[in-house]
Amino acid sequence: MLESGNRTFHRKKITIIFFLCAFVLLLLFFRLVYLMIAKADYYAAKAVELHERERSIKAARGRILDCNGNVIADNKTVCTISVIHSQIEDKEEVIAVLCRELGLSEEYVRARVEKFSAIERIKSNVDKETGDRIREYDLAGVKVDEDYKRYYPYGSLASKVLGFTGSDNQGIIGLEVIYDKYLEGEKGTILTVTDARGIEVEAAGESRIEPVNGNDLHLSMDMNIQSYATQLAYQAMETKQAESVSIIVMNPQNGEILAMVNVPEFDLNNPYELSDQILMGAGVSSGDARDNLSAEDKQDLLNAMWRNGCINDTYEPGSTFKIITAAAGLESGVVTPNSNFSCPGFIVVEDRRIRCHKVGGHGAEDFVHATMNSCNPVFITVGLRMGAETFYNYFEQFGLLKKTGVDLPGEAGTIMHKLENIGEVELATISFGQSFQITPIQLLTTAASIVNGGRRITPHFGVKITDADGNLIETLEYPVTEGIVSEETSATMREILELVVAEGGGKNAYIEGVRIGGKTATSQTLPRGSGKYIASFVGFAPADNPQVIAIAIINHPQGQYYGGMIAAPIVRQLFENILPYLEIMDYNENGVLETPEN
Amino acid sequence: MANRRKKQRQSEYFFDYSLLFIVLFLLGFGLVMLYSTSSYEAAQDYGSSTFFLEKQLKATILGLAAMMVVANIPYHFWEKFYGLGYVASVVLLLLIIPFGHESGGAKRWFRIGGLSIQPSEIAKLCMILFLAVMICKMGKGIRSWKGFIAVILMPLPVVLMVWKITSNLSSAIIIMGIAVLMVFVASPDYKKFILMGVIGAAGVALVVFLIVNAASADGLNYRGERVLAWLDPEAYVSDTGYQTLQALYAIGSGGIWGKGLGQSMQKLGFIPEAQNDMIFSIICEELGLFGAVAIILMFVMLIWRLMVIANNAPDLFGALLVVGVMGHMAIQVILNIAVVTNTIPNTGISLPFISYGGTAVLFQLAEIGLVLNVAKRIQLKEV
Repeated sequence: MLESGNRTFHRKKITIIFFLCAFVLLLLFFRLVYLMIAKADYYAAKAVELHERERSIKAARGRILDCNGNVIADNKTVCTISVIHSQIEDKEEVIAVLCRELGLSEEYVRARVEKFSAIERIKSNVDKETGDRIREYDLAGVKVDEDYKRYYPYGSLASKVLGFTGSDNQGIIGLEVIYDKYLEGEKGTILTVTDARGIEVEAAGESRIEPVNGNDLHLSMDMNIQSYATQLAYQAMETKQAESVSIIVMNPQNGEILAMVNVPEFDLNNPYELSDQILMGAGVSSGDARDNLSAEDKQDLLNAMWRNGCINDTYEPGSTFKIITAAAGLESGVVTPNSNFSCPGFIVVEDRRIRCHKVGGHGAEDFVHATMNSCNPVFITVGLRMGAETFYNYFEQFGLLKKTGVDLPGEAGTIMHKLENIGEVELATISFGQSFQITPIQLLTTAASIVNGGRRITPHFGVKITDADGNLIETLEYPVTEGIVSEETSATMREILELVVAEGGGKNAYIEGVRIGGKTATSQTLPRGSGKYIASFVGFAPADNPQVIAIAIINHPQGQYYGGMIAAPIVRQLFENILPYLEIMDYNENGVLETPEN
Repeated sequence: MANRRKKQRQSEYFFDYSLLFIVLFLLGFGLVMLYSTSSYEAAQDYGSSTFFLEKQLKATILGLAAMMVVANIPYHFWEKFYGLGYVASVVLLLLIIPFGHESGGAKRWFRIGGLSIQPSEIAKLCMILFLAVMICKMGKGIRSWKGFIAVILMPLPVVLMVWKITSNLSSAIIIMGIAVLMVFVASPDYKKFILMGVIGAAGVALVVFLIVNAASADGLNYRGERVLAWLDPEAYVSDTGYQTLQALYAIGSGGIWGKGLGQSMQKLGFIPEAQNDMIFSIICEELGLFGAVAIILMFVMLIWRLMVIANNAPDLFGALLVVGVMGHMAIQVILNIAVVTNTIPNTGISLPFISYGGTAVLFQLAEIGLVLNVAKRIQLKEV
């Protein structure tokens, strides 16, 4: 028994212990309050971050359609096969099935199946049938994810215009880049909750944000015309052994591009495979050299292969530019169609003697005939009459100093003298299309704007955006600048250019029964005397009310190199076929077949 | 007449149903939480979601039986075994060296059949008995410095063995803490204890200061790094701070109301062996601040009941036994919650009656049986 004196202090001390413990527990309670109220959000967020795994669901990229509704860029369902190490039950079975179905070596598959990682990709871009077959085995730990892959039914047609997409559904070049924001859609996500091993917790369910599919892009491009123009371009490239041939077909009234060809094209379904032409051009032909290409060299070659010459490269336009000089001369009043000139075969500008292409000279001629003859001294005279400042102002007014605004990436700007650097000699060379550089699309657009009544149009492919069901989302609009030349000058130019084809240097583009206007050009590439030429022809029809305008450019042809001889026939062949197709020409009505007179 | 008086006297003896209820509640609650915490991992690792629950249930039933037996044996019966208990503790601890079973990097267990026994748990009970007897024997001798130091030194061999042989610092601290509390109650002095407290606090502060100022963590041992991980768990997330940080995530995500029973995410392997020392963090996550406070209140009530019994014990021996048990429970609860909330550096301490651990629950229940027997001897008349 405790003595009463002792008892008191024992009791007191025991009570002290109790209150001490209770006090410490009270402090721990405050600590808990701090952690579970003040810091709750912080730790909870950290914990959620730890538990959630995010998987994205690709959105189906919008399709690209031509003006007739043909699908030219589509999506194909492909599968990605992966293995989840921790879920595999029968390792050998998994390896055997994957080897057999995917045609991979056992060594390759085994290394991946046995690798200790959360998820290991075995193969992507597996076609859907194979993916479905693998799914039917129902192997634990094997995951078959469906995915979309861009597919181009027309293969290489319009490759440099359409462009292709990368692994992340993003456009790499061409229209796929420019219209990315309409086409790409919005990625969806699957949020799953996993345990510490990375195994999904089924009870927790998954929250899913559905992807928003991309919208369809409708182009002004007509795959029939594109296809025929490509055929013509390849033909010309082969027969002339040219380096490349470009053709653009456009509606001069509104700037809608119907075809844009740059041969050699490349295979859009295998954009990273260097074409034979490119490899030959780079002097890499043997198999060994091909395999030994450094990554950098290969990328350079790929970039060259993907390059759209109509847009990305500039050239000296040569005589086709006389359309612009003539329009400026007429508009400024320094020359009229009836102005008389005399060409002795050369002209002296300051201390330079600039020759006409006809050695003996064209003799006496009016301005119309000078254009038909593509007479350099006459155009130099017109240019000199205007003077540098006036001519430069017309350059600006016609929109030549700005980019055309075409809906393709990487458009090159005009390379032009500064106004203060333009002396007599420069002015003379500019007048017949030399000593400065523009892109083919720029030349075509400017020529179109001069013959369409003076409205500077914006060349473009994109017409409208619709959803997958064809409901209109947006009609694409492009700026038009009115009155860059007067209606009268435009009409005069149409008449003169029609005569160029009917009776002048462009006669190889003549089609009986159709009024065609046009202008030829043959320009020597820099450095002069290299013997390399660019032959080109710009033509439009019908001459009195242009509905279609086309340019054909042959780079570095062998043998015959005059634009009138080799480029004009391309446009003629093109028009012969597409004008009836576009219902611009009717063989029966236009009297190709002689109608008997009563 | 005599018979009637005897009957009357017996009915005036006391059985502490409150204490029994509190313990049964904690056990039941502990089993529910143990199942909730361990089922997922148990199913993953052992193919049976009730793997841990079954083992714990067996130990609990055994423990309850032991409690009932001990509660019915007059506590003075144990008095003569104090020396044997001490020697048995020492021998068992020494036997760990050749026969111990290693698990999780530490040798703490014997495996006999399917049972694993942790000698440090046995040592705690034996030490309570041993010190209670020793202090009673010394009588007023405890009041002198000599007596005081003698009593403090007596548990030291066992404490050092628990620390060094089983590398279990927490159990060593608990045994030492029990000893100090018992001496504190037995001796009328305060100054010595205040002095001890001050020296102890200064020592801890010095150690922490030295570790924090150590030039690099490379030279530090395991415990040094634990101190640094305690101060900034997020900087040591890859190793020492991992468990602590995961526990904090669990506590924080519980919020005021909790996610609901069974809804913990952190138990899915994020907190390794959450059913052991970190079970309180899962209670916080699933039952929220309210659940955590309810459990803390249950433990406060447990300690309060132990205080009441100790205060009314028929003799000093009984009071000291109860004080020892009270100290054991209180220290373990406080240290466990402090570790889980990262209030002190991480050291493995289980939560009485709730954490997974067969030996622990068995001996804790035996201790409660002892206390119930002391309570039985309280004569209501005298109170």
